Amino acid sequence: MKFKSIQVKVLIALVVCLVLGTGCVVELMDYFTVENSRALATEAATGSQKLFTILEAREVSKMTAVSDALMMNTEVRDAFAAKDRSRLLALTAPLYPQLKSEGITNWMFHTSEPDMSVFLRLHNPAKFGDHLNRFIDKEVARTHDPVGGNELARAGFALRIIRPVYDSKGVVTGYVEFGEELGQFIHALKSQTGNDYGLLLNKKFVDKQFWADSSATLKRRDNWDDNAGFVVADRTTANDNIIQFNGDLATVPELGKVLEQYRDGNSVFVRALFPIRDAAGNTVGAMFVVRDITAVYTEMRKTQNILLAVTVISLSVGIFLVLMLLNRFIFQRLKRILKAATRLVGGDFETEIKTDSDDEVGQLEKLFEQFRNIFVSVLAEISEAQVTK
Amino acid sequence: MSQLYDLKVLIETKIAAGGLDSAEVRGKIALKAGRLLSFISPSTPDDPAGVAKLKQAIKDVLNINA
Repeated sequence: MKFKSIQVKVLIALVVCLVLGTGCVVELMDYFTVENSRALATEAATGSQKLFTILEAREVSKMTAVSDALMMNTEVRDAFAAKDRSRLLALTAPLYPQLKSEGITNWMFHTSEPDMSVFLRLHNPAKFGDHLNRFIDKEVARTHDPVGGNELARAGFALRIIRPVYDSKGVVTGYVEFGEELGQFIHALKSQTGNDYGLLLNKKFVDKQFWADSSATLKRRDNWDDNAGFVVADRTTANDNIIQFNGDLATVPELGKVLEQYRDGNSVFVRALFPIRDAAGNTVGAMFVVRDITAVYTEMRKTQNILLAVTVISLSVGIFLVLMLLNRFIFQRLKRILKAATRLVGGDFETEIKTDSDDEVGQLEKLFEQFRNIFVSVLAEISEAQVTK
Repeated sequence: MSQLYDLKVLIETKIAAGGLDSAEVRGKIALKAGRLLSFISPSTPDDPAGVAKLKQAIKDVLNINA
């Protein structure tokens, strides 16, 4: 399509600018919305990770203090040194409910090396004599210093400390261990941050049958098949769909990984996860963080719509002003010249174009006026010559 | 009288009958025909191309077949 009028061409160009400008603003706003969402997710992950570390340190300190107090009890030490299980149980069992109420769910005594078997489980006294063969067992036997860290058992993940027990002669008679299920940490995290959490365990480190058995014991649904690479050990949200991750937990970066947004009706959530390592440094799981950003997202969208409206209005007003100025300073003056030129040729020699402008159109107006004067003079001379003839 | 002059008279007649702006109508026709109507007199010699162009200009501006 070919347009003769410059006005139409300019109008089309300005409308294109309006559309492009609006499109750019929309894209820019979308970009900032996504970036803000990512920032919120990153902040949620980073904050939760720091809080998790603080909680771990606090609980390790608590369990260390408990073990220190226990080691001051000579009756307990003697009973353990004598490997008198009944007496040790009688002495320690009354203490266990109180420790359990403090979150210490696991309490074990281990024989010394080389056997290193479980001598007594306060949380399951009927079961003993088994060998756990974990990193922290080997490490405490190697160093005879207290060792702490996360240990993933076949059906659960716990923060544990293990320390040597000495008899009155300073000989190691075995080891005592305290542990807290990591699952309870997510509830503490939720109460402090308001975010939702899920504790994910890499299936490579969990025994499927044991998971099924423990699920039956704890009367929870066996969720082994819900996800390909991990099982959800515990979560604070009732929504199963919100905890989704298709990657390998072992590849989650140290500082965490931000996942895509999740929408549920009008609610918007950002999600992230950070790795959880065991005492040996293996990434055996991850903490899934879910933050409800519905209120923030709604505000962002509202701001986006306002900005979009302001942009469209501003550009429209700008276009109107440009067209008005072009019309006044160029197009109307060009039309006046065209009209004067036409009338001049038609015999109206009196229509002057007066201007005091020196702009481009003004120069044309002055040029036309000079041309008009010359034209009128030439016509007069020709007429005079014809009359003379 | 020449055909060109007859056409000029026709134009003047139409302008007068229609109450049209004489300078503007004459100017438009002159620009389209490529000649000044003032210079057309009864003795102006006809040339076929000039006559055809003037007729076309009259048709374009006054919408009449001369």
